[in-house]
Amino acid sequence: MEYDELITSQLSFIGKVLSVFSHEINNHLAILKESVGLIGDLIELGKTSSRKDLKEILKITQSIKNQIEQTTYFCDKLNGFGHGMEEPLSAFNIHKSIEELMVLLRRSINQKMICLEKDFTANMPLIYSNPLKIQFLIFCLVEKHLKRLDKNSRIIIKTVYSNDSIGITIIPKGNLIETDEEVICNDEIYKHIIKQLGGSISQKTADETTIMLPVSLFSSSNRS
Amino acid sequence: MSTKVLIVDDEVEFASTLAERLALRNYDVKAVYHAEDAITTAQSDPPDVVLLDLRMPGIGGFEVLKTIKKIDPTIEVILLTGQPKTEVTGEEIPTGLFDYIMKPVDMGELIVKINNANEKRNLSKHS
Repeated sequence: MEYDELITSQLSFIGKVLSVFSHEINNHLAILKESVGLIGDLIELGKTSSRKDLKEILKITQSIKNQIEQTTYFCDKLNGFGHGMEEPLSAFNIHKSIEELMVLLRRSINQKMICLEKDFTANMPLIYSNPLKIQFLIFCLVEKHLKRLDKNSRIIIKTVYSNDSIGITIIPKGNLIETDEEVICNDEIYKHIIKQLGGSISQKTADETTIMLPVSLFSSSNRS
Repeated sequence: MSTKVLIVDDEVEFASTLAERLALRNYDVKAVYHAEDAITTAQSDPPDVVLLDLRMPGIGGFEVLKTIKKIDPTIEVILLTGQPKTEVTGEEIPTGLFDYIMKPVDMGELIVKINNANEKRNLSKHS
């Protein structure tokens, strides 16, 4: 496969995460600005001496705190995503990594009125691998289904652990629609990435795709 | 008579707070959080000016704009967007859009745009 094609796909993925992130942060800032503005309005235009207005101000300050908490949570996910790119290999929690991706892409998925759900197995061990490549692979598979699923559908990300391997299955549930929209990556890209990760990819049914990954990727030949 | 403003945004907290702020400035404001509700309101209780979010789940902002303009071409629509104008204009914009305003919103700028839009609506209605 063409090296350029792979790089372009990976950059598109990172670009998508960053644009969704900045859009989400901007929305939180817009709400914060309106909330602070409303306090100012109540003081300037309202009758702030009344108990009713003071209660209203307390309600708004609580809303501001909630917005700040949500923004902090969101920033934390981007921070984790960024750290995942620092080293080619690291030990990490695969569930945390998938959750990062789910949170960062939530807005673009919600806009298509599709629900992204998780079905994680308990007691998952840490994995020694490349988090960014795994996230990229999951993103590619989720994106493929996003283009084909009608609104009010669901995509489930299920994990299992057996024989020193971690399985991640992407399961679409809903009606399919005809589309000619381009997807960011093709089958060649999946195969290339999965080879680098020392794992395998298989399609059990027409739609259900499973990625199998070794818990530990030690072989230097697998390193990119 | 106060200007009737319809805010259409799936961010409930943003839309309701903005509605409250405009109401304090004596606008007759209603906020809806789904594109479908915007279309129903435009039919049942037509506003003078619509503040419309560009990106919403399901029916997008441009689609709502087209439908509102079909219902009543004199209703003026101001697009609420988190993207710079240059990026929005890269998309296929339907005709009939009055103006844009960037999120986070500058209240002074918004008031000027709403008043200008309402003035245009009044001129269109009486011509």
